[in-house]
Parts: sequence; C-alpha cells; structure tokens
Amino acid sequence: MAGTLIPERTAERLCELSSDARAAVLLDAAGSLAGWHGLPKESSREAAELARELFETVDRAHRDLPGGPPEQVEAQVEGGTVYASRTPRWTLAVVGRRAALSSLMLTDLRAVLGELEGGRPIRRSSPAEEEAAAGPATEEAAASELPVPELGREAE
Amino acid sequence: MKEKRKGPIGRAAGLAEGFAATVRRMQREREPRVLVYDETGYARLVQPDGRGYERVLETAGRLVALVDEAEAEAKPRRARRAEAEDEDA
Repeated sequence: MAGTLIPERTAERLCELSSDARAAVLLDAAGSLAGWHGLPKESSREAAELARELFETVDRAHRDLPGGPPEQVEAQVEGGTVYASRTPRWTLAVVGRRAALSSLMLTDLRAVLGELEGGRPIRRSSPAEEEAAAGPATEEAAASELPVPELGREAE
Repeated sequence: MKEKRKGPIGRAAGLAEGFAATVRRMQREREPRVLVYDETGYARLVQPDGRGYERVLETAGRLVALVDEAEAEAKPRRARRAEAEDEDA
C-alpha cells in the first residue's frame, strides 16, 4: 500500500531495513525533529541538530557543484560512518557501522525517503516458513507475484 | 598462456604481497573520508584540504559519539531487564 509510511516510523523503518544502521533521525523541511530511532529523545534532538549542521556545512562548501547542491553525504570517522540524504521536504541521517556498505546504505536512505514521499513501499522477501503459514502456495498466487505479466495470459 | 609454476620462495612472496595489499586496503578503509553525492548519485570525494572537510568530520564524529553513548547507556538497562525477566520466569 503506497503512502503508509509516516514520519514517526521512518527512522525505525530504515534501521529495520539495514542491519548496519545503528540509529537514525528524520528532520522536516524546517529542520525540526520529525522521527528518531536508536536514541533516547534528548539525544535525538541533539542528533537532529548535528544532521542539520552537516548539510549546512556541505551546502556552504559545495553549493557551486556542477550537479547542483549535494543530495547525499557520507562521512566516515573512527567509530562509524554517517550517511545523510534529503529531499525538498525531508532529511534523513543515519549512523552506520564501520562495516556498512555505502552504496547499500545510500540506496536504503533513498528508498525509505521515497516511500515516505508516497512512493512504492519497499518490498522485503519473507522466509518460506511465513509464506507457508499464510496458506498453501498456488499457481495463481505465484503468478500474481510475478513482476511482469505473463505473455499470452490475456488471450486466455 | 600457461602460468609459470612458482617455487616456495615465489609462493611465500605472493602470500606476503597479498597480505600487504590487504593491510593497505584496511588502512585505507579506516581513514576518515567525506563524500558528497549529487541528485544523480554522482560521488565526489572531498579532499582533506577541501572546504568543509574538517567541519563535516567533526560533526559526524559528534553524531557517532552520541550513538555510542546511547548504546552504552542502553546496554546495562537491557541487561537489567533480561535479569528481571529471568527472575520472573
């Protein structure tokens, strides 16, 4: 179902999606804290402030880049890596483990923000056991899972 | 083309080269770095003498420290909760 992700759940959704995400904060367009996960409330306010500062610094330093202002930032420090991504309405920042793969983390950030903006929900595969519990597998059910329509099926 | 068979010294040298390369790669991965991405996903590495480099790293370091602190505080709490659950059971 599209548009089911709410700002309060967004940071948690990102941390569920990526096992390398330790904590995340979501900021609205005004820079106010809109959601958090992995941090107590007092710390999350400070984290939101730091996430805002991160983009402010980047904007001051790199506003004249040929591709426009940076949309994502990655900063690797001794104890971990900070990834941040933004849309015109939201900014999502996450502290990841050192072992995190940058490309995956940045893709997850984009995907979660896309879902928050009303885009397609991220589809996660479920274990076979859960599927079995949902009911017996049928050909019709399998066909409905196909990403593209089966050729010639309409002619039937 | 058939690969030339290496002797014991050649094999040892090969292993040492591989080990050295791994150590170099791990050192490189541990180094602080800042990357910015435009909307197409094109990445630019900010050089250590580049504008904003130090400030971004400092801010990121504070964010990581904040999460470290929160996790350290949460651990004893989680342990206490687990103990209480064990006692109840």
